[in-house]
Amino acid sequence: MLTTTPRGPAGMLVPAGSVVVPDWHKTQEAQRYFGAVLQRKKRKSFGLIERPVLPPLAQADMASYKVFVSGRSGVGKTALVASLGGLQVPSAHHETTGIQTTTVYWPAKLCQSGRALFFKFSFWDCGESMLKKFDHLLPACTEKVDGFLLLFSFTDRASFDDLPNQISRMRERAKNAIRIVIGTKFDQFAHTDVTERDIAAFRHAWGLPVLRAKSLSAPPLADRCSQGSHTGLSNVAHILNGLAEHLWRQDQWAAGLSLPLPGPKEPISAPLTGGSASGS
Amino acid sequence: MWEEGEDSVILLCLTASSGVPLYCRSRGGSVKQQLPFSVIGSLNGVHMFGSNLDVMLTAACTENTRVVWKVFHNSITLIVLSSDEGTSDFSLGKLLENVFSAMVLVLGLEELVNTRNVERLKKDLKACYKLIDSFLEPSKCSADLTQCVECAVMPSRAILQECLEAFASAAESRFGSLLTGGHVLCATEQWWQLAAQEAMLLMWLVRTLPPHTSRDLPVYLPHGSPTVPHRFLTFQLVPGLEVVLLCGPSPSLQFLADELVKQFWQPLLDLLKASARASPRCLLPSTSLAPGILGVLLINQDQRKSLFTVQPHGTWAEGSEMPLKNRLCALRSFYALVISLYFPSEKSEGTTVPLQEEFQAGFSHHPQHCYVVSATHKAYAVQGRRHQLFLLLKPDVPTFALRSLATSTLQALTTEDSAI
Ligand SMILES: Nc1nc2c(ncn2[C@@H]2O[C@H](COP(=O)(O)OP(=O)(O)OP(=O)(O)O)[C@@H](O)[C@H]2O)c(=O)[nH]1
Ligand SMILES: [Mg+2]
Repeated sequence: MLTTTPRGPAGMLVPAGSVVVPDWHKTQEAQRYFGAVLQRKKRKSFGLIERPVLPPLAQADMASYKVFVSGRSGVGKTALVASLGGLQVPSAHHETTGIQTTTVYWPAKLCQSGRALFFKFSFWDCGESMLKKFDHLLPACTEKVDGFLLLFSFTDRASFDDLPNQISRMRERAKNAIRIVIGTKFDQFAHTDVTERDIAAFRHAWGLPVLRAKSLSAPPLADRCSQGSHTGLSNVAHILNGLAEHLWRQDQWAAGLSLPLPGPKEPISAPLTGGSASGS
Repeated sequence: MWEEGEDSVILLCLTASSGVPLYCRSRGGSVKQQLPFSVIGSLNGVHMFGSNLDVMLTAACTENTRVVWKVFHNSITLIVLSSDEGTSDFSLGKLLENVFSAMVLVLGLEELVNTRNVERLKKDLKACYKLIDSFLEPSKCSADLTQCVECAVMPSRAILQECLEAFASAAESRFGSLLTGGHVLCATEQWWQLAAQEAMLLMWLVRTLPPHTSRDLPVYLPHGSPTVPHRFLTFQLVPGLEVVLLCGPSPSLQFLADELVKQFWQPLLDLLKASARASPRCLLPSTSLAPGILGVLLINQDQRKSLFTVQPHGTWAEGSEMPLKNRLCALRSFYALVISLYFPSEKSEGTTVPLQEEFQAGFSHHPQHCYVVSATHKAYAVQGRRHQLFLLLKPDVPTFALRSLATSTLQALTTEDSAI
């Protein structure tokens, strides 16, 4: 059976909470899974030849995905990936001088089967100016890619206007990869260049989910060596869950297993509320 | 004039031909310390004035600030001003060399020497800031000064070495190295054929970047390949331990991370975890040094690699002795003093012009030993056949014992089978 979404697989909208249990990370049940990826309340880091070790009774499969993070220089790609990985977010902009990847393990519970699952995201972040200068970088980032995070910044109108370019650049390369748009620097919403209405119009035109992110939870301090604060799970759960849902749904669709989308009739509003619903 | 801090370091970069400022960086990365344009103009002007008269102005000092000038490839002028107490003309000269090499590493020589568009160059140089800034910070090691990579010696090196050679060759690379905490655990034979400064710079780059699972960075090798970029790949095997490779166009990062890394390194997981926890001592557990030793810097002059520690007895040796920061500073200053005045300078790698007149020309001999005695410490240096050893010692070690202590330490550190 195919999904009822009219937009085709890679552009489909999966309502938040329709595939994985939202806010599961806050439940008691989730603790033993999150225990495997946390250490003293911080995210544990894993090398390439390691993986999280679960307590004996808590078994879970691992679903691995490669996600390419794209967007103009300075929109906050590196900052977003650092915050998704629970790492220190640099408050100053230093251009990324090539590709850097970050592995993030994210436990989630599937609504339908009630099964717990580990998502393993490899986030590929490449400095935009390097991407322009060296031709080999983009193909490397899009090789076997499963998903795109297309970033714009709420404080930079040009980055929002650039989205159609980004989308077409990606579409040629990976037809079946899912695409999610993320508006960064949402903490600076007071100074925004991009309005609610712009976003609604964009979603209508492109049929892509739009999430919001605040990678720096406090404004950068005046202090010259200040580092951005560590952001907790709650700040990033809506993005990681949203990504998990789209990738999982896409896999199901590709395997011919997908069911019609359950939940609200107007799926478009759901992913959008992700940003504001999360946290605090 | 600008505010001058206790230990401020300010770096200026200008085009050599027209004196257009390209950037100004300072310790701490702040912009508070931007120099007024008039000061920049005079600093550059006085240097240009000299060179028009065939006088090369290399260094100057005021009561609390040293200034060093250096022009690279007749196209880029770097000027550094430092009021850091531990600094010297020698160390500032190295700093400028490192900064220029860092610029080549990221941008390539071509763009730096054949600048067609200055505005474009200014913009592109931003990509180097992070690496450049790291050389302005107080150093926590010796590699920036000696331009030799620092190694850590450990018992299971042979197994790691074998695995590394196999991994590198499967990845179609001759240049591979295994790094932990800024030290080389082992490297392929060919790795040591890289120019010393290049190898140092690549490691320095890894050290300045926040941790990542893997990286694929285009780099220009300042000596080996300044105009054709290579791929510098890094893979975090376990936290704190990375394997790095220099590669051509293939294989892809994806393939290496997914397939080869697991295939070759997974079987050594436990050993790698243990290696990543290796102590800051950098010596074999079985090596024991005289208790009076506070710091060691051993340089293998042929292979341009070094062993450096200011905790030669492990971390428990803390207490009333010199704080680590002071040990570091004292050993670095001693090295700079000895190399700039007494010992034959390291094999120069082409571009290095001696900053000072040949002091040793005044001697009829080449000194083989030298030492310094101060209230807080003593220091002793030995020139061996292939090695140079610099020791920092407690002030209560009798001066007459220094020589034999240093010779036997050199012996002990260079004859073990796992010596560097
Ligand atoms: N206030 C705020 N600042 C942010 C946020 N995300 C990123 N920034 C800042 O934006 C600047 C640029 O962020 P980066 O993540 O380095 O930009 P990038 O997209 O990786 O840029 P390139 O590597 O050059 O392509 C940095 O100064 C960040 O601190 C955010 O959510 N809120
Ligand atoms: Mg970046």
